[in-house]
Amino acid sequence: MSYAQRALPFEARELGHDSWVAVSSAGDFAFLSLDELQLLRHEPAALPLVKQAELQAKHFLRSVGSSASGLDRLLRSRQLAKKETTVGGPTLHIIVPTLQCAHTCRYCQVSRSLEDTGFSLGNKDLDDICATIFESPAEKLTIEFQGGDPLLRFDLVRYGIEQVSRLAEERGKKVRIVVASTLHQLDGEMCDFFKVHGVFLSTSIDGPSWLHNKNRPLRTRDSYERTVAGIALARDRLGSEAVAALMTATGESLKYPQEIVDEYVRLGFREIFLRPLSLYGFAKRNQALLGYGVRRYQDFYERALDRVEFWADQGVEMREVYASIVLNKLLSTFDSGYVDLQSPTVAGQAVLVYNYDRFVYPSDEARMLAESGDQSLRMGRIDEPLTELLGSPVREQLAQSGDASLNASCSKCAYQTYCAPNPIDAQAQLGRMSADAADTDHCARHIALFDFWLRRLRSASPERLDRYHSWADCGGSRER
Amino acid sequence: MRRVLADTNASRAQPPRAVVDYEELASCWSPGYRYAARVSSDDERLGVEALSAAGLDVVWVESPDIRSGDVISLSPQARSCTVLFRAADHHHALFLTNRCNSYCLMCSQPPTTVDDGWLVEEAIEVVRHVLDPPAVLGITGGEPTLLGSDLARVTRTINEKFPVTRVEILTNARLLGSSALARELLEAIPSARTTWLVPLYGHADFLHDFVVQAPGAFEQTVAGLLHLQQYGHAIQLRTVLIEPVLQELPALSEFVARNLPFVREVALMAPEPIGFALANRDLCAVDLNDWHDTLRAGARTLQRYGIPFMFMNVPLCALPHDLKPYAQRSISDWKNTYAPECNGCDVRSDCCGLFTWYERGWRPAKLVPIKLLEASL
Repeated sequence: MSYAQRALPFEARELGHDSWVAVSSAGDFAFLSLDELQLLRHEPAALPLVKQAELQAKHFLRSVGSSASGLDRLLRSRQLAKKETTVGGPTLHIIVPTLQCAHTCRYCQVSRSLEDTGFSLGNKDLDDICATIFESPAEKLTIEFQGGDPLLRFDLVRYGIEQVSRLAEERGKKVRIVVASTLHQLDGEMCDFFKVHGVFLSTSIDGPSWLHNKNRPLRTRDSYERTVAGIALARDRLGSEAVAALMTATGESLKYPQEIVDEYVRLGFREIFLRPLSLYGFAKRNQALLGYGVRRYQDFYERALDRVEFWADQGVEMREVYASIVLNKLLSTFDSGYVDLQSPTVAGQAVLVYNYDRFVYPSDEARMLAESGDQSLRMGRIDEPLTELLGSPVREQLAQSGDASLNASCSKCAYQTYCAPNPIDAQAQLGRMSADAADTDHCARHIALFDFWLRRLRSASPERLDRYHSWADCGGSRER
Repeated sequence: MRRVLADTNASRAQPPRAVVDYEELASCWSPGYRYAARVSSDDERLGVEALSAAGLDVVWVESPDIRSGDVISLSPQARSCTVLFRAADHHHALFLTNRCNSYCLMCSQPPTTVDDGWLVEEAIEVVRHVLDPPAVLGITGGEPTLLGSDLARVTRTINEKFPVTRVEILTNARLLGSSALARELLEAIPSARTTWLVPLYGHADFLHDFVVQAPGAFEQTVAGLLHLQQYGHAIQLRTVLIEPVLQELPALSEFVARNLPFVREVALMAPEPIGFALANRDLCAVDLNDWHDTLRAGARTLQRYGIPFMFMNVPLCALPHDLKPYAQRSISDWKNTYAPECNGCDVRSDCCGLFTWYERGWRPAKLVPIKLLEASL
């Protein structure tokens, strides 16, 4: 046999002066100079042997004379492992029992005041929703209650959780229940109930008190203080790991990356998600006021991330969730199950949202879009069987337009094995799901993130690489 | 395998026999088996001969080097016997063939081409004559998959006789790259009781194929590993720390972590200074103390991906401090010794020591006795 090397399909992208990253169809990446890249493309045999070995191991090269199918089979199994999340049944079920909320956040847009009626589900609706959820063949289910602020209708949350727990036991499913709330209404009785059902709480902290209260106005101007009190109560009754927080970055927030990170450290959180504002629904009208471009967000992200690492270097470990998603794509060969960036999109497949309006949507963003008048993403009604929902024309369209291999720009992109178009974002931004990814903010934001993380990986110290691999959950599949 | 001096009344070369003490013979005896009774007096010798004359398949044997529970094959002309199974050992191995389809640079037991099919029958007889179930029974060669379905016959014999014994099969897995043989063997051999010990020496075909001196071997072994995974078998991946492997160890670790994460563990082994390793001394004789950074880098990658690893045949004084906890006492009892320097070492009893033939070869590192410091407050 001959050990002369031939190149397999791959894509490359420039990261800086004479610095390129090439990504193979297995999702392995290699840092190359322009010379090396040209040789890889046109004359691999002229590369140094050490480089040839690296590139063969990363599935850029094959020996011309290789006859057995070992590496080809390996490559196929690598590609399949990446698709694990996209092939199972629906695993994340979001229930929106009510749209009522005491806040009047400018970016939230969808919520209704406490006086408004007709923005909540009833018990019969929850029965229908639970019936659909448990038609999913998935062994493990996550069921998340969102709002509005669902604790304003604890009666509905309680009823829903009781049904879910009962069905989970009957069907032998593992269920993780999450309630997303400001925690302003949380009391001892609710905690007792949550403890019995192993419920996790997810709340919002946008940063220090002055920033949070500006982002999330209440008439009493004490949103931050009441959420922090709720966090303390929840930790006391349910344990320190039972409550996590999310932040939403407004234009105002972008000025305070360090302050936001420090606030999360101060409050003792183990995770922070530096999440950009999604410009859906009402917020679109406020874009000029609240919004910001990809560049400004990326600057914020990088400064905040530096602060996260600053603390981690002092021994205060806090995981940044966006980094975990991106690093999982780059460093792990197993998909850790994040619903973002799956190709084809898992919106409407692994994820279903059961809205207070008695329609089912493919994602949280899609139901928010509906609030602004675009109801084209409705998959069906909450009392329809799961198979009909999954077979809806909307899901068909999502699968088509959310597939990187079918998108003109994605299929030429170096990051196509890590990323995917987001048809719901495209619908919100451009009014059509099947937009070319290059026209979307979603694409610009993620290319910037992948560029950033690859540059960071290229120059990281061994200690930081240890951290990045742990964020990426590289060993995760072994523990499951 | 060990040959030891032994006196016996047997008159010709013998198939495997179970060794029992004379006093135990009556309680141990069952029909269809061959026994060698350890005797220490004329009375006992006469007793055995009487039983033999009465039709029992038993001979007497006298040797200071065998114990009840061993399985031996006697060679009366040479006044010796071969110990095929030693009950007191920690590591037991059945030797199935001396033939091999690879020709590794550091092979401790260079292959031959003669037809040694009789070894399979001998191995089966050894298993039949083992008295107490060993925790683990190794199967080695040569390349045991060359035996095809006979390999499954051997494992079946073990599984049927000792349901709790784990079987470890040392194989280059090349032939398991064939779908047909993989199906035949991997369905017949029970995955719940078997571990496959498979060597991998490089992350690219030309690196691995060079070490095993066999073109195409890497692709075949990778295919074999994937078949083992497909049929749910446990794999211990092994690599030998010779110079061409050490040079690329971090990259090999990364290849394993990213491509073969289904392996149960990775064993990093110092070579045995015998066989081809002596002939290829320039590639095989390394001082591991010169490679600590490499060992650390390789280990770190495996740690990042959560893949367990251990060092075998590496004395504690040859490893950097942070890797010492990963060393195993791995050298088979009958191959094991210590150097004079080891006498002054405080951790000798935790250390794998050396292969007995290290003096004709080399030491895996310059040996330095380790002194434990007692903290005085």
